[in-house]
Amino acid sequence: MTIGARLRRREDHRLVRGAGCYVGDLRVAGCLDAVFVRSDLAHGDLRQVDLEAARATPGVVAAWSSADLPFLPDTPPMMDPESVRGRPWPPLATDRVRYVGQPVAVVVGDDRYVAEDGRDAARVRIDALPVLLDPAEAADSPVRLFAGAGNVASEKTFGEPIDEAVWQQATVVVEATYRQQLLAHTYLETRAILVRPEPGGGLTVWVSHQAPHRLRRDLAGGFGLREENVRVIVPDVGGAFGGKSETWPEYLAVVAAARRLNRPVRWLEDRAEALTGPPHGRGQNQRVRLAADADGRMLAYELHIDADVGGYPHTGAFVPMATSMMATGAYTIPQVSVRSRAVVTNTAPTSPYRGAGRPEAASAIERTVDLLAHRLGLDPAEVRRRNFIGPDAFPYDTPTGFTYDSGDYAAALDVALREVDYSGWRSEQARRRREGGVPLGIGLCTYVERSGAGEEFGAVEACPDGTFVALSGCCSTGQGHETSFPQVVADVLGIEPERVRLVERDTAVVPSGIGSFASRSMQTGGAALHRAAGKLIEAARQRMAETCAVPVGEVTYDAGVLAAAGRSMTLAELAGTGQLRADNTFAPPEGFPFGAYAAVVEVEPELGEVTVLRLVAVDDYGVVVNPLIVDGQGYGSTVQGLGQALYEDVRYDPDGRPLTRSLLDYLIPTLSEVPALRFAETRTPNPNTPLGAKGAGEAGCIGAPPAIVNAVADALALDARDALQMPLTPYTCWSAAR
Amino acid sequence: MTALRTTLTVNGRPYDLDVEPRRTLADALREDCGLTGTHLGCEHGVCGACTVLVDGQAVRSCLLFAVQCTDAEIRTVEGLADGAEHPLQTAFSAEHALQCGFCTPGFLMLAVGALEKDPGVVRDAERLRELLTSNLCRCTGYEAIRRAVVAAAGDRPAGED
Amino acid sequence: MKPAPFEYVAARSADDVVAALADGRTEVLAGGQSLVLEMNYRTRRPARLVDINRVPGFDTVEAIGDTVRIGPLVRHQAFESGAVPGQLGALLHRVVRHIAHPPIRTRGTMLGSLAYAHPAAEWPAVITALGAELDLVGAGGRRTVAAGDFFLAPFRTARRPDELLAEVRLPVLPAGTVIGFAEHRRTHASFAQLAVIAAVTLADGRVSSASIGLVNAADRPVRARAAEAALLGRPLDDPAVAAAARAAAEQDADPGPQPYTDLAYQRHTVAVLTRRALDQARTEG
Repeated sequence: MTIGARLRRREDHRLVRGAGCYVGDLRVAGCLDAVFVRSDLAHGDLRQVDLEAARATPGVVAAWSSADLPFLPDTPPMMDPESVRGRPWPPLATDRVRYVGQPVAVVVGDDRYVAEDGRDAARVRIDALPVLLDPAEAADSPVRLFAGAGNVASEKTFGEPIDEAVWQQATVVVEATYRQQLLAHTYLETRAILVRPEPGGGLTVWVSHQAPHRLRRDLAGGFGLREENVRVIVPDVGGAFGGKSETWPEYLAVVAAARRLNRPVRWLEDRAEALTGPPHGRGQNQRVRLAADADGRMLAYELHIDADVGGYPHTGAFVPMATSMMATGAYTIPQVSVRSRAVVTNTAPTSPYRGAGRPEAASAIERTVDLLAHRLGLDPAEVRRRNFIGPDAFPYDTPTGFTYDSGDYAAALDVALREVDYSGWRSEQARRRREGGVPLGIGLCTYVERSGAGEEFGAVEACPDGTFVALSGCCSTGQGHETSFPQVVADVLGIEPERVRLVERDTAVVPSGIGSFASRSMQTGGAALHRAAGKLIEAARQRMAETCAVPVGEVTYDAGVLAAAGRSMTLAELAGTGQLRADNTFAPPEGFPFGAYAAVVEVEPELGEVTVLRLVAVDDYGVVVNPLIVDGQGYGSTVQGLGQALYEDVRYDPDGRPLTRSLLDYLIPTLSEVPALRFAETRTPNPNTPLGAKGAGEAGCIGAPPAIVNAVADALALDARDALQMPLTPYTCWSAAR
Repeated sequence: MTALRTTLTVNGRPYDLDVEPRRTLADALREDCGLTGTHLGCEHGVCGACTVLVDGQAVRSCLLFAVQCTDAEIRTVEGLADGAEHPLQTAFSAEHALQCGFCTPGFLMLAVGALEKDPGVVRDAERLRELLTSNLCRCTGYEAIRRAVVAAAGDRPAGED
Repeated sequence: MKPAPFEYVAARSADDVVAALADGRTEVLAGGQSLVLEMNYRTRRPARLVDINRVPGFDTVEAIGDTVRIGPLVRHQAFESGAVPGQLGALLHRVVRHIAHPPIRTRGTMLGSLAYAHPAAEWPAVITALGAELDLVGAGGRRTVAAGDFFLAPFRTARRPDELLAEVRLPVLPAGTVIGFAEHRRTHASFAQLAVIAAVTLADGRVSSASIGLVNAADRPVRARAAEAALLGRPLDDPAVAAAARAAAEQDADPGPQPYTDLAYQRHTVAVLTRRALDQARTEG
């Protein structure tokens, strides 16, 4: 059995030697560097782009505005085409700019140094327009970002309108507003693309990406090429977290430049660009109302979301929908009503960021459940237990339209309470409240999330030399597919995983694919390979039956060897008689991983500094293929969640200029910020795939923030919690406590 | 702008380069010497992905100009493995101290510089914390990196798993 | 994030540096940890850099009598490894551990930090509190400026563009001096939001002199004279410390708008950190 084996990663051999190959490491002869002239105003009418001096700069090969590249296609929507109707996003601004950093012109030079010289020589005149930064305000503002289209790009409702009598008659109704601050993805490798025009009009595109087939489709569609003439290759990727799934405007401009010059051109985003965005993540104003009876049983839950999707809705408008559909989390709530609006503002466009809507949903419901418990004087763990969807209720249809596959939420909570020593900390808290001491709080989060997102391609081929090739439409951005996917295939085939080599991230070799996001790779891509390996065995048995002239039923298979009629052949020998390969596209239903987080914090009373004493994460990912890798995902995502809870925050000045332009201003956790973390798991297999895996990779971003915020609110014994908004800086806590 | 003749000695090998004064050491290593294991993550000295050793000291190669490094002994991640993997490289893999791998060369050089100067740094939790706080990683959550450095020093304090 | 073009001069002597600076459009490249950062952002575009890293003698720390002289190429790291003896050295050691990270400290210099005058930098407040002197050398000769007169505003000092900050002279702390340092920051990768440095000399159980410096509590580093006055002649006990903390917050600090804070919280933080620094001084010495 290789599923479940803690195998070391194959990727590491090259990466620890500095022999990995990220886009910026490629040596492509004659390649030029592109940089962008960008708007320094958040909103304005573009009056003039003067590139004379830029073109005259030594080393600059070309400098173009949109007027020079009339064939440049608009940026395509990632999903939800309705939200972009009347709101076109030209890769180089035509008449209006809508966020600081929006590309206005592209400058191509012999290297990045001279291209930046040219960029600085460009003269751009923009007449300022009023700036909108808050989505709720923007929704009702007479200032419109797009003439002829409102600022609400998408408005959706889920559930049913709630009977007014419920609010009147409930024992308790809690209301709150929450802000999900804007975050910067902060992958260590910023976005990168290198485009080489090929003879005959085709393109080879190397890109740091999560969804190469989608990018191929968008580029081919945008430039009127056949998909097979566009080859997208994703080399090593230095982290993605949702910000590299998109077809960004810069990519289209680089393709246009490369085609126009008939030379390879690359754009290696720098950190100044990356922090300015796009993309940003999160960015929601939430308003909740929850009614319950005296026992804390929930009666109705209302969630209103105004999502800031930035200057263009193309990459972020669908994220609040994901929040809406996960609104009720782990609970049965008789009446549920969700309204979400995706609103354009003059911040940089948003996109999915690790968790992509689910952290926002979990944060809203989990903070509110704690508030309910506080209001009723009940233990927040007990209130959760009284409202959980029971383990025998699956498959469970939520009021917002999902069908949860399986789960045992109370079991996960029990493990978390035990691991964190919940009763011990409660006694310590009581002691401190009695005798004095640093305020101590315990916070919980019991989350459900969604993983999967559609189909995935997988194929397995037996080679005559005894090795196997697995092809996947997924796209590793650091998750170790080269190690874990062969484990799945080897397990099915009953062979050593070393004999299986994974091929992915190249559209010329992998015929189709969706990619890696939404924690989908193992759940969906792994399951597709699992099925492909099974089909390979069936195909081999069929061929063996034909070879031996026996019914298929008489062919046995064991550990790579087929036997029938007294003969035996290996898969390799059989492959020697003709290609032996099984392809398959698998589209399982969505998966619903879940878990329970518990945080213990101290809030230093003088300055309000939060110290996380313990953070326990209990996650249920179903079947785990490689615990080494999955543990790493849990650890890393939890620390990113810690970052959102306490430190990270994209800030703008009132004119819409980003203030967090460096990593000295936008603060991600360092080693010194990481508290004692403890991980445990429960294991409820995914009932809808042969592999049984659910998504693993985003849980910590979902579970950690509400647990920490709830712990701080508990430590400060806050009755009203609206002042306690992330990130919980010392000043935030200090002022909330006053 | 005139280029200056500069000789960089990297991993014991001389590279004769004509570089503009403004070329950072990181870009000279990557673009001129072809040593792309040194990564650029922020270009303002915070993330540490570009950390290399100059005369034995860990430095940010994005904040140094190549012309400043004539006569210096520069070491990069490419020089770490001497045929066999360096113990730190082995430990990083064994402890799963890397995911996307982009920050890894910087962390390795940071740790190599410190361990060569004083392997005892791993026995002083506070100093080790301070050292490893120098660089950023967005994938691992750092704990595996800390464990790997301790393991590579051949010196895992009791009580740690 | 690539620097704009510049000319490069590698100086071999102090005279080389002064000669290079004479054109008024040349900047000194010492550790480069702030200058090159800004050049990469192109928020600074010097026409020429004079690199002082190869000037013999610039990296010396010298104790002469009751003064310690620090040259223009003494790196932060030197203060971690005991370059300065005594309580002054202990204070510098305590502070330097809060400056950036080891790889930055191996390059960055104390005098570079002083000349850069970042509002949240620790060294400017240290030398202001201790009443150090700075020597500036230009084509017009050498002049001495008191630390209290050197810092004019964030990123602005009394140094003229054609001058090299050639030396800072710190007074040795007398026997009986206890030291403390307290800092408030958001993460270990961020600048200080506020910090307080304290050196208090006791004679016969009473404070005979005090130096208290505030980091990022005004538009320039602050010597907290009111707080010092609150201590003089009194034992370093709770009431004296409380009085000094109050004075620092209410009289010495002059905070301005900053992210994640308001003026009341900043003054409150000054009081808390002053108390913590003084508590550290009396308990740890």
